[in-house]
Amino acid sequence: MTRRIVITGIGVVTPIGTGRETFWTNLLDGRCGIGPVQSFDTSGYNVHCGSEVRNFKVEDYLLNLDAAHLGRASQFAIAAARLALADAGVEIGSLDRKRAGVSMGTTSGEPREVERFDDAYVSKSLDKVGPEFLAMYPCHVIAAHVASELNFSGVNSMIPTACAAGNYAIAHALEVLRAERADLMLAGGSDAFSRITFTGFARLGAVAPEICQPFDRLRKGMIPGEGAGILVLEPLERARRRGARIYAEVAGYGLSCDAHHMTAAHPAGDGAARAMQQALADSGTNAEEVSYISAHGTGTPTNDRLETIAVKRLFKDTAYRIPISSVKSMLGHTMGAASAIEAAVCALAVFNNQVPPTINLNVPDPECDLDYVPNSAREVRVNVAMNNAYAFGGNNASVILRKWELLN
Amino acid sequence: MKVEEITTTVKKSIARITSIDPSDISDHASYKDDLGLDSLTILEIAVDAEYQFQVKLSDDDLGEIKTVDDTVRMVQQYLSVAAIA
Amino acid sequence: MRNRVVITGVGVLSSLGDSSAALHAALCEGRSGIKPVQLFNTTGLGCPLGGEIADFDATKYLGQRNLRPLDRTSRLVASAAQLALKESNWSEEMRQDEEVGLVLGTMFCSVHTISEFDRRALEAGPTYASPMDFSNTVINAAAGQTAIVHNLRGLNTTISTGVTSGLAAISYAVDLIRSGRSRALLAGGADEMCFESFYGFDRAGLSCRSDRGSGDFPIPFDARRNGSALGEGAALLMLEDSDLARERGARVLGEIRGHGSSYDCSRGRSDQESVDAIASAVLHALYDGFALPHEIDCLSASANGSEAGDRNEAAGVFAGLNGQTGKLPVTAIKSMLGETLGASGPLQVIDLLETMRDGVLPGIRRLEKLDDGCPLATARSQSQELDVIDGLVNSIGLDGHCCSVIVSRGDF
Repeated sequence: MTRRIVITGIGVVTPIGTGRETFWTNLLDGRCGIGPVQSFDTSGYNVHCGSEVRNFKVEDYLLNLDAAHLGRASQFAIAAARLALADAGVEIGSLDRKRAGVSMGTTSGEPREVERFDDAYVSKSLDKVGPEFLAMYPCHVIAAHVASELNFSGVNSMIPTACAAGNYAIAHALEVLRAERADLMLAGGSDAFSRITFTGFARLGAVAPEICQPFDRLRKGMIPGEGAGILVLEPLERARRRGARIYAEVAGYGLSCDAHHMTAAHPAGDGAARAMQQALADSGTNAEEVSYISAHGTGTPTNDRLETIAVKRLFKDTAYRIPISSVKSMLGHTMGAASAIEAAVCALAVFNNQVPPTINLNVPDPECDLDYVPNSAREVRVNVAMNNAYAFGGNNASVILRKWELLN
Repeated sequence: MKVEEITTTVKKSIARITSIDPSDISDHASYKDDLGLDSLTILEIAVDAEYQFQVKLSDDDLGEIKTVDDTVRMVQQYLSVAAIA
Repeated sequence: MRNRVVITGVGVLSSLGDSSAALHAALCEGRSGIKPVQLFNTTGLGCPLGGEIADFDATKYLGQRNLRPLDRTSRLVASAAQLALKESNWSEEMRQDEEVGLVLGTMFCSVHTISEFDRRALEAGPTYASPMDFSNTVINAAAGQTAIVHNLRGLNTTISTGVTSGLAAISYAVDLIRSGRSRALLAGGADEMCFESFYGFDRAGLSCRSDRGSGDFPIPFDARRNGSALGEGAALLMLEDSDLARERGARVLGEIRGHGSSYDCSRGRSDQESVDAIASAVLHALYDGFALPHEIDCLSASANGSEAGDRNEAAGVFAGLNGQTGKLPVTAIKSMLGETLGASGPLQVIDLLETMRDGVLPGIRRLEKLDDGCPLATARSQSQELDVIDGLVNSIGLDGHCCSVIVSRGDF
C-alpha cells in the first residue's frame, strides 16, 4: 500500500498578498497584482507591465541567515517556508532534521546575480564581481538557503523545469516521502522578477500590454511576474497523529515531454494530455471525478487554445462540466513559483469548496469554450482538483489533489 | 540602400542561423514551406535582420513576414522611413 | 517489491575522450585532461588551466544538421545521449513504442548563454535580444533540446544541485524505475566550460594556484593540495528496469544498487556538519542498497583538490563505513578531469563500470604525500589491479549537497 501523503501547511509570497489567508481572500475577490514594472527601467521595451511583489521584507521571516547573502528568490522561498511551517503548526524544534527536506523548483534561479555580473562585464569592471557570484547565483541555492535557514539536513533538491517547476518539485517530494526517505518535505517554487526573463518574453512577442486575460478572444499574452509558494507535505498518519489540519491529499501526478519545440507546445496537445492521463491513472481517478482544474492559462493566444484542445482531448464531453480557471489572470506568470502557488490554490479549493475566477474574461472565444469561471469566484464542491503546468523545453506536469477523507 | 544589398545581408543571416547555403535560398523562398523552418527560427532571422539594419519592426509587421522577399521589403520600408525622419 | 535498475549503455564526452574505454585507459595511465584553457581568455585569473573538451564537434555524433538552436551544453548532452542510445541499442523505432525519458543533472546548464543573451540586450538594446538564445536561458534547456533531437517523449526532468547534480539525477531516475513509473531513462549530467562559471569559480577562491607552491594541478588528498581546476563533460547512463533489459536481450554493464543524499546546513563552514552530512549520505546509500560497509570494494571519491572538502570527505566516508576505510582502495578521477560539476558523478560511475570490467582502478595523479588528516591509507598515484563487485561513488558539493551511490557489477 503506497504511503498516503497530505498537505498540512501553505505559505505564499505573491503580487496579491503574502500568507495563505490574505492571498486566498484576495484571490476570491478577483484582485489583480499587475501594474507598471518597478524593478527596472522598461523604456527601451514595447511593453511595460509586470506582476511584482511589493513591500516584501525578508527580515520579517529570517532568523538565522543574513539577508545580504540571499538573492530575492531565496528570500521569497524562506518567507514562504516559514509561513508554511507556521500554517502547518509544525514545531521546527521537534522535527528530526535529518528527515526533513526541501524540494524546490525555479525558472531563473537568482537572475539578479547574473545580471550584476553582466552589468560589470559590459562596463568593463568585472573585478567588482567577487565570491558572492558563485555563492548566490546557481539556482540550487534557493533550496539550499531554505534548508540552511531551517536547519533541515534531509533530501535537498532543486528541479529547474521552468514554468512547470513547482509541480515537478511537488511530485519529487511525493516520491521522497513515499519512499520513506523523509518524514516532512517542504515543496514548492520560487522566482524573482527578472530583466532577462522580461526581455526574452517581450522579444518573443508574448507579453501583453496591460492585462492578462486567459481564454478571452482578445487576449494578447502573458504578464511576467514573481513570487513563491511552498507546501508542507507529510504522511497522512503523521498528520492525523499530531492533529494537523489537512488541506488535501497529494493523490498522484503525471510528467511528460513534448519533444517537439523549445518554446511552443505540441499542436495537438499531445504531451499535455499524456501528463494529465498519467496523473489520473497514478491517483486512481476517473476523468468524471475531477471537480476543478487549475489551468496553466498564461493568456497567450497559443497556450490557451492548445490547452483547451488538450483538456478536451482527455476529458471529452466531461470537459464542459469541469470549472477550469487561470489565476495567472490575477497573479501574472510567476514562473517557477506558478504551479506551486496554483497547487496551493487547488489545496484551498479542495479544503474550502470554492474556486477562484479567471478575471478579465469578457469576450468569449469560440476556440476556448469551456467553463473558465469568468470573473467571479464560485462555490463548488471540490473533491478532486487537477493542477496543470507546461514549460519551455516541452516539460509538462499535472498534479492531482483530493479530499483526503474520500479514500476512507 | 539597394534591394540587392539588403537581400544579400538577409541571406547571410539565414545562413548563419540555419546553416543553409545562401545560394540555396531563393528570393521568394517561404521560410516555413520552402526552407522548413520553425517559428522560433523565423523570428530569430527577423530579429537578426532588424539588428543588422538597426531598424525596429512592430509586432504586427513581424507577424507578416513569411518569405525572404517579405523580410527584404519590410527592411527597405523601415529604412526609407528612417531616412526621411 | 521494487524493480532492479540496470545500466545498459553509456555516453561520454570528456577531456580524455568520447568513450568509456578511452576515458578509462587515459585515467589508468595517469594522463590528465587539464590543460591551458583555449575556449576563452584566462588572463588575470588565478588558474589558467581547465579540463576542456578540445575540438568538440557535435556533428560527429549528431550528423550534419543545423545545430545553431543548440548551445554548447545542449550539444554536449545531445551528443552523449546519441552515444548512450546507440550503445544500449535503443533504436528510433523502439523509442516510438516505449517512451524513453531523460533526467539531466546540471549546475549551470548554460550561464554563458544566459549572459550572452543579457549582454546583447544591454549593449544593443532589448529589441535586439536573440529569441533563439532566450530559449536556451532556462536551466532545463539542454534536456529539452536533447528530447527534441532524439524524440525522447518519456518523462524529462532537470536536477540542479551543484556538483551533485548528475548523481542526484541518477538517484531520481532510479527511484522512478524502481516504482515502475518509467522503464527506461537516460540519466546523468553535464556542464560546459565557459568564462562565466570559470570566473565565478576562480573568484570564489576554489582554483588551484601555482604561486602557492605545490604546482598548478589539483591533487586530491595530497597534503600540498590547494584547490581544483574546472572541467567540462557530459555523461549519461541508460538506466532500465532489469526485466525490460532481459526481455530485449540488452547487455548489462552494471546495476545501481543503492543511493542516498544529505545536506550540510552549514554549507561547508563547519567541518563537523560537513563530515556528518557526508557520512549520512553514505549510510543512506548502504541502507537503501541493503549493503554492509565491508561489501564496498572501492571508493570513487568526489575529492577535487579542495583543502577542506577532500579532508571532510575522507572523514565522512570513514564514519559512514564504520571505520572500515583502512584498506579501502580509493580513486579520485577529478585529479585528471578536473571538477566537471554536473557531469562529475556520472563520469565517476562510468569509469567505475570500466574498472569492474577490466579489473583496474585508476590512481590519483601526482599524489605523493597523503594528508595525515585523510583516513584513506591506500590512496596512491598508480593504478592498481582490483576485483570490484560493489563500488561507492560520491559527489560532494562545495556548499552543502552530498550524494552517494552504490554501483554493482553486471553479472546478469
